Amino acid sequence: MSEMTESPVTIPVAQVEDFSLSLVRNGVRSQVLHHVDLQIRPGEILGLVGESGSGKSVLALGLLGLLPPESHPVTEGRITVDGVDLLHAGRDELRRVRREVLGAIFQDPMTSLNPTMRIGRQIGEATGDDAESVRLLETVGVRDAELRLRVYPHELSGGLRQRVMAAIAVAGHPRLIVADEPTTALDVTVQAQLLDLLRELRDDFGCSVLLITHDLGVADQIADRLAVLHHGELVEVGAAADVVRRPQHDYTRSLLASRLTLTTPRDERFATESGSTTTESAVSIRALTKTFGVGRGRRRHEITAVDGVDLEIGAGEALAIVGESGSGKSTLLRMVAGLEKPTSGVVELAGDGGPQMVFQDAGSSLTPWLSIGETLGERLRPLKLSRGEVRERVTGALAAVDLPPEVAKVRPGELSGGQRQRVGLARATMIPPAVLLCDEPTSALDASLAKSVLALIRDLRARIGMTVLFVTHDLAVARLMGDRIAVMQSGRVVELGPAEQVVSEPRDPYTRTLLAAVPEIAS
Amino acid sequence: MTTLTPRWRLKPVAIGGAHLARPVAWSVVGLLVVVTLVALFAKTLAPYDPIQPVGALNLPPLSPGHLLGTDGIGRDLLSRTLIGIQVSWLSALVVVASGLLIGGTVGLIAGATGGWVDSLVLMRITDLFLALPGALVAIAIVAALGSGLTNTLVGVALVWWPYYARIVRGEVKALAARPHVEAARLAKAGRTRILTRHLLPGVVPTAVITASLDIGNVVLLLAALSFLGLGQQAPAPELGADTARTLSQLLSQWWVPGIPGLAVLLLTLIANLGGDAIRSLIPVRR
Repeated sequence: MSEMTESPVTIPVAQVEDFSLSLVRNGVRSQVLHHVDLQIRPGEILGLVGESGSGKSVLALGLLGLLPPESHPVTEGRITVDGVDLLHAGRDELRRVRREVLGAIFQDPMTSLNPTMRIGRQIGEATGDDAESVRLLETVGVRDAELRLRVYPHELSGGLRQRVMAAIAVAGHPRLIVADEPTTALDVTVQAQLLDLLRELRDDFGCSVLLITHDLGVADQIADRLAVLHHGELVEVGAAADVVRRPQHDYTRSLLASRLTLTTPRDERFATESGSTTTESAVSIRALTKTFGVGRGRRRHEITAVDGVDLEIGAGEALAIVGESGSGKSTLLRMVAGLEKPTSGVVELAGDGGPQMVFQDAGSSLTPWLSIGETLGERLRPLKLSRGEVRERVTGALAAVDLPPEVAKVRPGELSGGQRQRVGLARATMIPPAVLLCDEPTSALDASLAKSVLALIRDLRARIGMTVLFVTHDLAVARLMGDRIAVMQSGRVVELGPAEQVVSEPRDPYTRTLLAAVPEIAS
Repeated sequence: MTTLTPRWRLKPVAIGGAHLARPVAWSVVGLLVVVTLVALFAKTLAPYDPIQPVGALNLPPLSPGHLLGTDGIGRDLLSRTLIGIQVSWLSALVVVASGLLIGGTVGLIAGATGGWVDSLVLMRITDLFLALPGALVAIAIVAALGSGLTNTLVGVALVWWPYYARIVRGEVKALAARPHVEAARLAKAGRTRILTRHLLPGVVPTAVITASLDIGNVVLLLAALSFLGLGQQAPAPELGADTARTLSQLLSQWWVPGIPGLAVLLLTLIANLGGDAIRSLIPVRR
């Protein structure tokens, strides 16, 4: 794609010219980027959008001069930052550019901050003195900045850590901040604050920002221009408003279409089903409380994760539980699953055989050294079937989640994230459970994959007629998956009502905050 | 896209020490196999009876008929060293294997069961053994049982397993907290099945690596015990004992104590390199 809105006078801060890159992964060399041309202009926020595997993070590493040497990168073309060719510059030159021109914010601030150093020293490495560090922390919206200098990264929340990263990134007055999925690990409300912060940093310091994200909604909120990357090729570049509202390329259109929003049409089939829900209750939760002890000795105190929750879920009903991290939604689900003992209160489940669960991280919920066939066959062991029958049932279960029978022979490591989550779903539903518990099953998946997995869960629900408890941080997903939505905050259910009503007419102020923070693409 | 390896993917472990390149690692493993074969067939390979005098006294190495020379009473040093390697190497393997078996079982049960079985019974017994100096306890056991190779092996094996119990328990605890074990519990897998299929295979790599790095230590400890007069009794050949008994000849006929001593050095070196090699070759979940 060529640049259409090029202005002749501005000299770009960073320029990627005909850049191709191949890397060695697991012993195989593969082409990661193909002839990428991209300019980042002074003072602009450029959104770089793509799904996992599109090469967007590698492009960011290239712009920082940090291509992983252990992957033996082979490059073509040029990456120029502040007039320096990063691909061919010497070590000292690279270091100078990184120190004086570039700043970086990565997805997981816990791994990019040094866990053994106090915050003050880490910022001090970039600023040189504490007064400047305090000023920077205040700039990025950290309250009690002076006190924060003395704490370690693990003592801060995810949002605060990301702010500290931002403070370090702007400390050297960089001309370009590269932010790689800076908000992916954060709650929506914190995400909104961080996006505001990035915009303020641009306005105050006049630096450019390269914002890498998989979420077109996030990019649309603050980016001036958007670049869409697909399988290592730049398929579309243009003004953000144009790309999002008048996408030229098919891939951009499919990205937009796979976005789940608060207005995605709900399947009417399920809407009617919720109406037929019997009064018979499948899960009843009464005064359920869970407290955890933290710390030792005199600093020991108790944290109430779930605080007296009462919920009745009817047979065949789907209830979505929404909340931010730390709201107690996962603990609640784990208590229903019997994985966590309640401190007080009761969970009663109808039907025998117990509930089944689909985990957030499908990869770690499958035993790495067992074949998929053995993992699935495990559920049939009490039935004492013959080997042929087991194979048949396993093949059937895989077919039910749209996987070919060969999958039974491989180990989880050979499957993609979406395939693994399907296997998790097959394991949970191959013997139809009365209650299916889902703990953010799609939060680690790309939008298009997430959409298909969600559709699959709804199909299985219709086929089996099971009760579903669906935990998510995403209101759009909750609205799609639940007949009713329960909103949790600090261990309590603050709002409970029919899905459509909670989203369109929220009663609780916290629900309204959550809704306001969801990045929406206004038409 | 991230360049990080996903959490479930197998990654080589780093406990410290050298990380060997693949071809080097394989050739070192080949060396381990050769040493084991030599140890197994030492009787066939040895040119003479190691106990009977067969030549002139104190012949230097490379003498005709006696490649490594003879000792103070005319016994062939090559034959004595080969049989000595057999005793040391096979003993070390037996001690490490029994340590793995006992320690592994204790660690597996402690780690998977948790609660008072773990904290009160199994791990406190393990701590008790770990708190005592291993070599001294082994000496005390041998002293009580009477010296001799079998008693020495029993003594060393008794102090050797707690290390493995510790390591296996830690690994099992870490594994048991992973969602895949919770998923297996929800799938109504039995306790034994979770233990053998969902936990044990994950522990094997770490345990084998630790054990292989340990063979050298056991070779040394056995040699040291024989040096002190415990273990294999004269006139049967034992590398440590042979070195000790003839130490007075070090300046006049260096090869008589020197060759069994060098054999201990080589065995330990090969064992340690072998441990490093196995660690480089086996992927461990982290």
